[in-house]
Amino acid sequence: MRPDFLRGIRFADFTWAGAGPFGTKVFSDFGAEVLKVESMSRPDPVRRGSPYKDGIPGINRSGYFASRNTGKKSVAINLKEPEGLQLARDLVAQSDVVSNNFGPGAMERLGLGYDELKKIKPDIIYLAMPMYGEDGPLSSLLGVGMTISAVTGLMWMTAYGPNDPVGPGTHYPDHAANPYHAAFAVLAALRYRRHTGRGMKIDLSQIESTANFVGPALVEAAASGREPPQVGNRSREHAPHNIFRCQGEDSWCAIAVEGDAEWLALAAAMGRQDLAGRADLRTAQGRLAAIDELEAAVGAWTAGQTPAEVASVLQKAGVAAAPVACSKDLIEDDPQLAARGYWQTLDHPEIGPALFTAPPYKLDGERIELKRQPLFGEHTHEILTGVLGLSEERVKELNDRGILG
Amino acid sequence: MEAFRPYSGIRILDLTYNLGRYATRLFGDLGAEVIRVEPPEGLPDRRQADQPGRNSPDYAFSFFNASKRSIVLDLAAEKGRATFAAMAKDAHVVFLERGAPLADELAWVRAQNPQAVVTIVSPYGMGGPMEQAPSSDLVLQAAGGIAWMTGREGEPPLRLPVDQSVMITSVYAAVATAMCLVDAETGGTGHVVDVSAQECIAHSLQNALQVYDLERRISHRAGEGTRDASEDIYSCKDGKVFLASPPTLGISWKQLLAWMGETSHPSLAEFGKERWLDRRWRQTAEAKALFRPLFEAFIADYTREELLAQALKRKVVMAPVARIGDVLGDRQLAYRNYFIQMADPRFERPVQFPGAPYKMSEPVWAATPAPALGARG
Repeated sequence: MRPDFLRGIRFADFTWAGAGPFGTKVFSDFGAEVLKVESMSRPDPVRRGSPYKDGIPGINRSGYFASRNTGKKSVAINLKEPEGLQLARDLVAQSDVVSNNFGPGAMERLGLGYDELKKIKPDIIYLAMPMYGEDGPLSSLLGVGMTISAVTGLMWMTAYGPNDPVGPGTHYPDHAANPYHAAFAVLAALRYRRHTGRGMKIDLSQIESTANFVGPALVEAAASGREPPQVGNRSREHAPHNIFRCQGEDSWCAIAVEGDAEWLALAAAMGRQDLAGRADLRTAQGRLAAIDELEAAVGAWTAGQTPAEVASVLQKAGVAAAPVACSKDLIEDDPQLAARGYWQTLDHPEIGPALFTAPPYKLDGERIELKRQPLFGEHTHEILTGVLGLSEERVKELNDRGILG
Repeated sequence: MEAFRPYSGIRILDLTYNLGRYATRLFGDLGAEVIRVEPPEGLPDRRQADQPGRNSPDYAFSFFNASKRSIVLDLAAEKGRATFAAMAKDAHVVFLERGAPLADELAWVRAQNPQAVVTIVSPYGMGGPMEQAPSSDLVLQAAGGIAWMTGREGEPPLRLPVDQSVMITSVYAAVATAMCLVDAETGGTGHVVDVSAQECIAHSLQNALQVYDLERRISHRAGEGTRDASEDIYSCKDGKVFLASPPTLGISWKQLLAWMGETSHPSLAEFGKERWLDRRWRQTAEAKALFRPLFEAFIADYTREELLAQALKRKVVMAPVARIGDVLGDRQLAYRNYFIQMADPRFERPVQFPGAPYKMSEPVWAATPAPALGARG
């Protein structure tokens, strides 16, 4: 299905890189008109980010860009020219939402700050996503997604054990916390506007947004005065609970016992009636006290089997378990994702057919069908003549003078 | 009369207890009436929170259930079902979760109010061979692909902390529900949203899926071939900092070298060599092994705070690796009044509590303590 729930809503979308475009993509997937305003003089870095089809770089060839910009329209305007900036303002006047994830003050320097834009569109919804917020002593700190993990404690808590932080292997906050908090805030602001007629500014500090993703740990430290322990793949309350090596190179299975019944089921599946019978292991506390011994026993059992064999036996026995999947496993071998129709292939003029993930839910039993990402500047003519009502001659003249592109 | 808030007038019947409970919290903070519909003994998270001997009080319960109310309904009994049916007629959203009441009765729930949005969250989604498979946070992070991407070379994959399967699933569920609510309110049509935690996690893997599809490479947790030698955690005088200084990232690398030059640090002799401008070489294990000791020698005499000051001054992408206690004391967060005080009766005194994930120019966000069982608020 192609939902049009957001029909009639237009974004002047200045976001770039990872977190911002991922947050506005969900609106184009649901039928809003998201105008990606971009400049060749300062292109979206993700357009120049790998992977590329067949490893060959090109402004329209990035798979990373593709995954963040489905269904959007690309309007290429040179924002270094005053006339280009005026076009951007004219687009804002015809939009419901303006979004950006530049550093603090960047939009203001372009004359595109909230106070300026409110003058031309009083009920505009304005989303800003600077890393540390718009103001304050550290607001000018530069960073990437991993910086946000570092500052919020996520990096510290992602650890094999005490004082041994590793941090998430990706720029994790860019891919869930920040884009989706941003999208939720814009949806809330749209409803607020429907009822009150008033727009608003949303100042989403990506660090504040991500701090909520470690919310329970912050509450614990505040209330108890103690650092929550770095437990890695283990659990504070249950054992065995870890990721175990299996047969094959770099092959692993996650196993999580979270109750006494699961423990007995695991011991039975391992054929370890001696462990199942031991009184000291009947409680979670007893199993935690014997954690090294139990993990060694489970590891010895998993070592001779593939992750799929281990997981299958345990799932049937009622124990939570799953192979640790890499990207290839997910795409080629995951029966659940395949059965639910998670993968979509979209054709593209330069890349050809490429794989996309559907939005991670079904709607009324169906998948949301994505539309491909735009070529750079693909919709400039359509939007300038259509939305702004410029004549063909005027568009040509702007193009000839380097105001577009 | 209370001023209008974004979700004023919206009633949500909430039967989530794990994967969906941050989603309903987000609505509650912005004015929706979120009512936890609980069996007489409470939803599973309450039962778990009230278990004697556990890590008590259950801080996660307080965090996830702020801004909600609670009603006790025995949905196994006729009377309870009748009350639920009556409440559903006035509700705009019903949130279900696998393992809680009514999750297996989607058709009945829908029939009570076809104009409502019914969102059901589950580990693997509805249908498919894994529909009923047992799961947990660790297992979902494995099945969704994010555990694979985290950890060190030669060591096991590593999950992310603090129940990230819950956080990821909930933000996707909240956005999809809010999208459907737009249609329900403006077009008069209800919807069913079937959210899979595994799919949500697999949707949050940076570019790993595209890397495999387009270039047939598997993104590995050690970052070999993908992550720059300078992108990592390093030890300084009083703790650890995160640095990112590939030459492609602004002026971070150039400024780092200039800073070493000013202090005449011997590490500059190596970093001044031509190979440090080769993007691909910088992603090799060789470059990583060279970089660490030389950079750590350079920052060994600096504290985290001193390094933060240098990062600000020089536009080097570098920040302290904060412990949780450090986040509570973060001076930028304090300046912006990020934290609130939460007077949750489960705590001995009001405690510092995470504030809004977004600041809105209209005063519409507020959080109230998680409800006692049956507390309608």
